[in-house]
Amino acid sequence: MTTLSLTINGRKHGPMDVRDDLSMNDFLREMLGMTGTKFGCGAAQCLSCAIIVDAPDGTSYTSPTCVAPAVNFDGKSIRTVEGHAKDGQLSALQQAFIDHFAFQCGYCTAGFLNEGQVLLERLSRAPVAREALEQTIADALDGHLCRCTGYIRYHEAVRDVILADSSRYLVATK
Amino acid sequence: MRPSRREFVKWLSAGGISVSLSHLASAANAPFAAHETLPGRGNFNPATKGAGRVDGVAKVTGAKLYASDFRANDLPGWPQTTSHAILVRANDATHVYTGMDLARLAGPLKPSVVVTASDLGRIGTQVPEFYAGDLFCPLGKTPLYLGQPVALLIFETFDAFDQARLVLRDGTFVKFGEETGPVIAPDYGSYRFTRVAGPSPDKPDLYSPIQAGWVSPKKVQNAALPVWSPLAREMPADYVKAAKLGDQIRTELAADNASLLVLDREFETQSVDPMFLEPECGLAWYSGKGGNLELVLGVQSPYEAAESLAHLLGKAHAPYKPSHINAQFAHVGGGFGGRDHTPFILYVALAAILFPGKPVRLAHDRYQQFQGGIKRHPIKMRSRIGIDRATGLIKAFAADHVLDGGGLQNFSTNVAVVAATGAIGIYDIPKVDVTTIALHSRGVTAGSMRGYGTLQTMTALEALIDEAASELKLDPIEFRRRNALKQNGRTMTGNPYIVSVRTPEILDRLEKHPIWQQRAQLRQTSGDRLVGTGVACVTKDYGSGADCSLGRVELGADGRIAIFCDHVEMGNGIGTALANRVASHLGAIADEVSVARVDSYDVLGLVTSGDPYTMDQRTQDAAERNPRWVPSISSATSASIGAHVGTHSSSEAARVIFRFGLWPAALELWRIPKTDPRARQWANASWQNGQLTMPGLAPLALPALAATAHARGFVTGAVAHSFSRWAWSRARFPMFGEQYRADIDALAIRRGNTRFERINRTSVKFPPTDNNRIGTAYTSMCGTLVRVEIDRASGALRIAKAYSVFECGTALVPEVVMGQSHGGFAMGVGYALLETLPPFEGGPGNGEWNLGRYLVARGSDLPLRDLEIEMLKPLTPDEAPKGMAEVVMIPIVPALINAIHDATGHRFRALPVTANLLKGVLA
Repeated sequence: MTTLSLTINGRKHGPMDVRDDLSMNDFLREMLGMTGTKFGCGAAQCLSCAIIVDAPDGTSYTSPTCVAPAVNFDGKSIRTVEGHAKDGQLSALQQAFIDHFAFQCGYCTAGFLNEGQVLLERLSRAPVAREALEQTIADALDGHLCRCTGYIRYHEAVRDVILADSSRYLVATK
Repeated sequence: MRPSRREFVKWLSAGGISVSLSHLASAANAPFAAHETLPGRGNFNPATKGAGRVDGVAKVTGAKLYASDFRANDLPGWPQTTSHAILVRANDATHVYTGMDLARLAGPLKPSVVVTASDLGRIGTQVPEFYAGDLFCPLGKTPLYLGQPVALLIFETFDAFDQARLVLRDGTFVKFGEETGPVIAPDYGSYRFTRVAGPSPDKPDLYSPIQAGWVSPKKVQNAALPVWSPLAREMPADYVKAAKLGDQIRTELAADNASLLVLDREFETQSVDPMFLEPECGLAWYSGKGGNLELVLGVQSPYEAAESLAHLLGKAHAPYKPSHINAQFAHVGGGFGGRDHTPFILYVALAAILFPGKPVRLAHDRYQQFQGGIKRHPIKMRSRIGIDRATGLIKAFAADHVLDGGGLQNFSTNVAVVAATGAIGIYDIPKVDVTTIALHSRGVTAGSMRGYGTLQTMTALEALIDEAASELKLDPIEFRRRNALKQNGRTMTGNPYIVSVRTPEILDRLEKHPIWQQRAQLRQTSGDRLVGTGVACVTKDYGSGADCSLGRVELGADGRIAIFCDHVEMGNGIGTALANRVASHLGAIADEVSVARVDSYDVLGLVTSGDPYTMDQRTQDAAERNPRWVPSISSATSASIGAHVGTHSSSEAARVIFRFGLWPAALELWRIPKTDPRARQWANASWQNGQLTMPGLAPLALPALAATAHARGFVTGAVAHSFSRWAWSRARFPMFGEQYRADIDALAIRRGNTRFERINRTSVKFPPTDNNRIGTAYTSMCGTLVRVEIDRASGALRIAKAYSVFECGTALVPEVVMGQSHGGFAMGVGYALLETLPPFEGGPGNGEWNLGRYLVARGSDLPLRDLEIEMLKPLTPDEAPKGMAEVVMIPIVPALINAIHDATGHRFRALPVTANLLKGVLA
């Protein structure tokens, strides 16, 4: 057993004892009841289980939870799908997913949302040129599987959020 | 006759168990809104204007929606702790099963309960006929199929379960002894479809299935050999008649006839997994001692699930027989057919029954889902086509199909039939003879999956058509146009379609598209990069020939609308489609839409009997004298019927509210007396921005109309049931001094704020039982163009551009329709180029398959910026919606095969065409 403390969506959890081989996915879903993070394959191939990890340097990245032990997240700050909306207001990306009918069954949505959000945050730190945007989105989302939609509307939703605030996410054109 | 889909269990009285079913949202303490609520209330019909779907907010905020999200402590009244079960499956089907070595589960890892085949006999379960076969392989028998369950292990705590599953991961604890070879079992079914047209299209057919009935050799044999050749003497007379005509067609195709181009080709398709993202899961709690069995499930077929569970336990001994089963149904994380009639639910129930007092969760992981989940049928096909060289007209077609149904029958016979009757695609062919047989094998069970057999047979056909056009030196689209079935032409079973046939329009659009126009210019057949263009055009039935829906619509005094429907939301947007269809009658989007709801129609008091697929006319005529009788009560959400059937009853209920609630309210507000001619001109009224308008009269807002309807005791709610057997049932209901006629067969209404009251129909016309001889009467068309680029050195294929054009009548939610077509494209690409499962040993039944090894299309496999999809406008503003979820997938596959041939000169006759295979032929 290892003592685990972490911050989830801004709220501190722990210290609590968890088994060393308990996956982060089961920690969230079974111990905390936070089932917005999904279980898809258990092999980090579909990324429906991906969450956001906030690094101390202010950057963020996604991590699969199905193959990662919960204890790996000790001391870390993470975000899940349950934490994107603030005070009942959906984030820009959540709203874009709805507006674009980006998902159908919705089981992959949490993973795409987290990945898209991390991309937005990365671009806000390091904008890219407009002409590089499509490939940037494609590269960012390609690890995520969706069986219903064909991906197009997820990409469109992310693109629209970026273009709606292009001065933040894109390199200014001369 | 179409074979029965299942044993019909009269579930309400099955073994004295009462059954109730409800939407999971009725769990009052669940941390999400009880019903999905539309975003943007206040805007008229926001969903049709791109403002989201009814389940949108829940899905982007991670609300508990799916069966896999729920634990016991989420459900009111349940114990707080959830126990967990592992379904152990056999990874060998050629040796005798000798038991499990659970020694590695020592101490705290020891399961609380081990359930095996012997327990089933002890407690007195009975397997529903649809799932016939041992639920668990008994000791001393060879498993019927790879992945057959052998035991349930139940662990009281999550920790014990979690550690045990890791310890058991390698599967070597399941022991086998003597080698026996695979279990040989009878085939699941065989049929022959033969049609010989009359001398001209306006003359009757000389022979057709609709005239003579469907024929089967009905000769069961325990070998994987065709049962129709040579023709045995003991065959049934009706079969012999078809067979003689069929053999005549084959003889003509085999004759040395220079005027006829005859191609004789084989094609083989692979086994694939639906790969819905949420593995199957269920939660159940049996209070014990004959008390309640509570379940939370996620399936496409809620009624069937309840029937099967009631049958399973109907004759169980005390204390294992519950007095009441309450099943709650959740959204499903993808279905594609693979959650329609799944045996998984039986194991969920058994886990609870044999661990009474403790809620038990049974959830597949992905390895288990591959090992035990329903698969698509691999089909071996041999097709012969004869074309008159002078006219380019197809004269005859003969084919033989052999389907591998895997270990349990499931829908194998039905898939074989649908595959066969779809085998001539969009074409008008005067002489057709198709035989089909679905075989048992030791493979994982195959069943319903998007395309339902026609994906396989139309792929083979469209590849054959492409080759024929090439041989005849005809343009592939012109060849298709010349042979396409026209509006009133006859299908393989001898009936015409009763919906629009828009093949010519689709072919025209394909022909004019730049991808097609540029094909010669851009084609490259030499060098490092090969470029080719392919085309395909298909038609796909929607509906199963006995489909129904239940709908309830309520209008509040403030104008708020609530809809309840029995069909299931599996991503297909049924909730949003319901809201939009009801809005067309009531002028506003619903405030509540509750799907998978099967507990809201008791007032109809429906009863049923017999099998709607095999019933004879006399039986139906007798049964329908009971005004509460219907041929079937509730359908699975499958066969692309969501838009057409799933929304129909709610739409008709809303129509009743308008006609007998809002319209008389409007007359009052407009002060139009009943004697005024305008009082019967409701058809001239229309909704605009939430207001009811009539020329020359002041617009009326829905809340004002609703308030008046409530105050005056007009109709403010309606419950309806509808049934379709390639035509709607139609009945008369006495209401307000008139005989109201509608395409429904049961109706209840609410006046003002009173209780719902049943309106007994005074007459009914159910579609004739002879319609069961129809292969399909509802169909949609789709055509596809693809341009591929293939790297000669690596075989890597890139889809450079693609275009699909399809028609679906009126699209209830255009954004969802387009999304489904995008998804169909992706699934088609995966099927054509990536996905495959070995059939037996080494296949998914060994429990070692997962994503990574099994490849599905990712974004980088698709032309995300170069995929153009066009949805044709409906022919008329009121054209009924048509099913489209399957048809949009099918032409992608043959179009890719044909494009690969265009680029490489090689015709692949098996799927998938992987990069390695391409590299091989290009070396």
